[in-house]
Amino acid sequence: MRQRKITPENTEFVILSFEGPDRYSLAGGLGVRVDNLSETLAEMGFRTHLFFIGDPKFKGEQVRYRGNLVLHRWCQWISKYYPNGVYDGEEAKLHDFTESLPYSVKDRVAKPAVAKGKLVVILGEEWHTAEAMCRLSDLLHSDGLRDKVVMFWNANNIFSFHRINWGRLNYATTITTVSRYMKHIMWRMGLNPLVIPNGIPKELLRKVDDGAADEVRQALDTDLILCKVARWDPDKRWNGAVEAVARLKERGLKTVLLARGGVEPHGQEVLHNARSLGLTVREARMKPGSSDGYLTALQEAASADIIDVRFHIPLDFLQVLYRAADGVLANSGHEPFGIVGLEAMAAGGIAFTGCTGEDYAIPFVNSFMLETADPMEIVSYMMYLQDYPEEAARIRKAARRTARYFTWEAAVQNLISKLENQARIQGTLGGQRRLAEPQFAVSKLPPELLATTLKRHY
Amino acid sequence: MAQDLVIYAVVHQPRRLNLPAQPIPKGAAPKDIERCLFDERLNEEYFHKVATYCYYPATEMFLELADRGLKFSIGFSFSVLRQAESWDRKLFDFFRQLAAHPNVELVNVEPYHSFLPLLDLPMFAKRMSWSRDNLEKVLGKRPEVTDTTEMLMSDAIYHALDGLGFSGAFLDGRPWVMEWRESTHLYHKGKDMMLLARHYQLSDDVGYRFSNKGWWGYPLLADTYAHWLREAWGDFVVLAWDYETFGEHHSRDTGIFEFMRCLPDELSKRQIVTLTPSEAIAKYREQSFYLPLPAFPCTWAGEGGMDFFLGNPAQQAVFQLMLQAYNKALLTKNPKLIDLALWLIQSDNLHVIQWFDRSGSDAEVSAYFTPKEWWELGPSGIIWEMQQVYKNFIQTLDEYL
Repeated sequence: MRQRKITPENTEFVILSFEGPDRYSLAGGLGVRVDNLSETLAEMGFRTHLFFIGDPKFKGEQVRYRGNLVLHRWCQWISKYYPNGVYDGEEAKLHDFTESLPYSVKDRVAKPAVAKGKLVVILGEEWHTAEAMCRLSDLLHSDGLRDKVVMFWNANNIFSFHRINWGRLNYATTITTVSRYMKHIMWRMGLNPLVIPNGIPKELLRKVDDGAADEVRQALDTDLILCKVARWDPDKRWNGAVEAVARLKERGLKTVLLARGGVEPHGQEVLHNARSLGLTVREARMKPGSSDGYLTALQEAASADIIDVRFHIPLDFLQVLYRAADGVLANSGHEPFGIVGLEAMAAGGIAFTGCTGEDYAIPFVNSFMLETADPMEIVSYMMYLQDYPEEAARIRKAARRTARYFTWEAAVQNLISKLENQARIQGTLGGQRRLAEPQFAVSKLPPELLATTLKRHY
Repeated sequence: MAQDLVIYAVVHQPRRLNLPAQPIPKGAAPKDIERCLFDERLNEEYFHKVATYCYYPATEMFLELADRGLKFSIGFSFSVLRQAESWDRKLFDFFRQLAAHPNVELVNVEPYHSFLPLLDLPMFAKRMSWSRDNLEKVLGKRPEVTDTTEMLMSDAIYHALDGLGFSGAFLDGRPWVMEWRESTHLYHKGKDMMLLARHYQLSDDVGYRFSNKGWWGYPLLADTYAHWLREAWGDFVVLAWDYETFGEHHSRDTGIFEFMRCLPDELSKRQIVTLTPSEAIAKYREQSFYLPLPAFPCTWAGEGGMDFFLGNPAQQAVFQLMLQAYNKALLTKNPKLIDLALWLIQSDNLHVIQWFDRSGSDAEVSAYFTPKEWWELGPSGIIWEMQQVYKNFIQTLDEYL
């Protein structure tokens, strides 16, 4: 008898996360992740509930995607006192989230779904949801529902790992993470998480307008363009990027770094460092009321070595910048997954990634992987690309091909396969309880990765 | 030998604190502060549990006993009435039915079961007066006799109550209060208000020891107990219990309901007559005795002194925080915040941490009343988080000053 699969008819999804799709709830990659994940599930036809710290001014509950996606804005009664976003009043929100949410998920979602004979999949994101997931598991158990529910808890980062009761969480849920790098970190803690990579929206795979990319290049009128989008954080190795610009300049290559940081104070340190290396820094700001002035804003700052981009860059223009740049510096020292590198690859950009969580990156095949914090590594690769432009063209093509395997649709398929396996282990997806067999989805690997894998092993 | 019997039971459920403490957002409105302070989900859960095991079967039993002619008295804290009205309207009506029975006398109690009688006597008097009016409005009878909180009584409390015109009040007939006197007489402290002294040994035989298999009197049967009541020297015996004794402290399978149902016949066989507190006061007023009340309050909890509530450092610390919270709330002059402070000085909040640094039967009773959900925090965690609730409240009052 063939084993049953997870389908929209037999399964309902619940996602618990602090961040979410509201502007109030977006602080970093987590909000984008749960937004994309929940939308992809809903588009695939799964009824999906997303519980998150929502904007207090919006409705507590909102239905989207023809009823498939239900947004549950939690802690609004607290958020109204904390206008500065999802992490403002974090402890107060965390307490209420942990105390109240498990009962609601159990009574309002899990019970009715199980009553309809459905499997319920609950996905918890990040440390904020760890205790709530444990309590929810206990509640479901006490109501005789736990074996009808599959619970995955995902670590997107190592933030506040010290606040998690790992023994309890590991018992109550199946722990997952976003890369093999994270898996190795967690191995050292006695955990063995499943790896379910992040994804990018498939819209990012649309061909980027080369004409627009040329306009950027013309506007900046320089030998080399580097681009870096990241929080101002030492982990992101901003100083290495700035130093690389200085070294390239020393070699007679006029280089512009498009730097889009956050609001963090480390930015001042980085820019001070740039100036002390003899680089010029200028801010690029949008004129109020200007709708298509991104290019103009960059052009006005083009004489500088470092352009400190002080406006929000919409995704489509960001894709243009990635495409236009000679290198996109996603050179973090610690990156659980590294979505920026993948986004740059989707745009046909040349990503310079670190060598931690970027499982999608294959050095010299679809990107450059920086093994050290030495800026000379960036410099030498840039010089190499100057000498071999055909290599740059090949890498850009390979990068786009690889990105196709990391869309949210692919990530969700991966997730569902692992959920199905877990559901079979629990005996919740029909059939008898049985031991899981390892799954090797070799055919789903990109050809570049497949070739490398086979070479290594045979 | 006592011929008459006065029975009193008090119905109360605490408004449990929200542990671990929910941080209070800066500038929070009183209703949101309230949400941070109290765990209403937990309260509702416990209320339904107690309703199932105790309130429904016990009320059914007491109504049946009243129909059979047994006279008794009952007190309801506002704390429990509020919960019944919010979460089980049917039970609320059942309580009203019991209170309305002609054989049942309604007794006034401190509405929030708070420590006001220790903290602020003028406010205490005001609240007792409010409670009396409220009980009349809600349950249809105006109480003439009063209890306090945990049967607290002292010289000062007596005078506060006497000033409100109550005909009588309960106190626990502990030896250190009664000295050479028997609890089986009617007393006064020089004013009109009479004092009904609870017979703590005979009361505790049922209230505490009934299901204790290690007790020499186990199993206690109705005929034995009626015999002991009849043997008591004096005019009348006052028995007083938590209403939750029936079905909650002693579960149904201990035989507590059967025991109570058999009791009226056994009392009749021995010519023991049940009286309401007001009837006992009317009957014995002329032969009442002067009782010098202590300056230190006595209570029916523990060994009868305040050490049950203030006997360990954790309780003393929380009590200090209660004082700070209550008095700072008064400074705001905001009625909603003062009301929250009154809830925070609920005696149960010290009752449930009596076990700290202690052992023995009192500590066991205290630990029994501590919500099992709190134990995950560990003993020190419970104390820490409880203090945090008060500290959060005290801090948040800044916004209103």
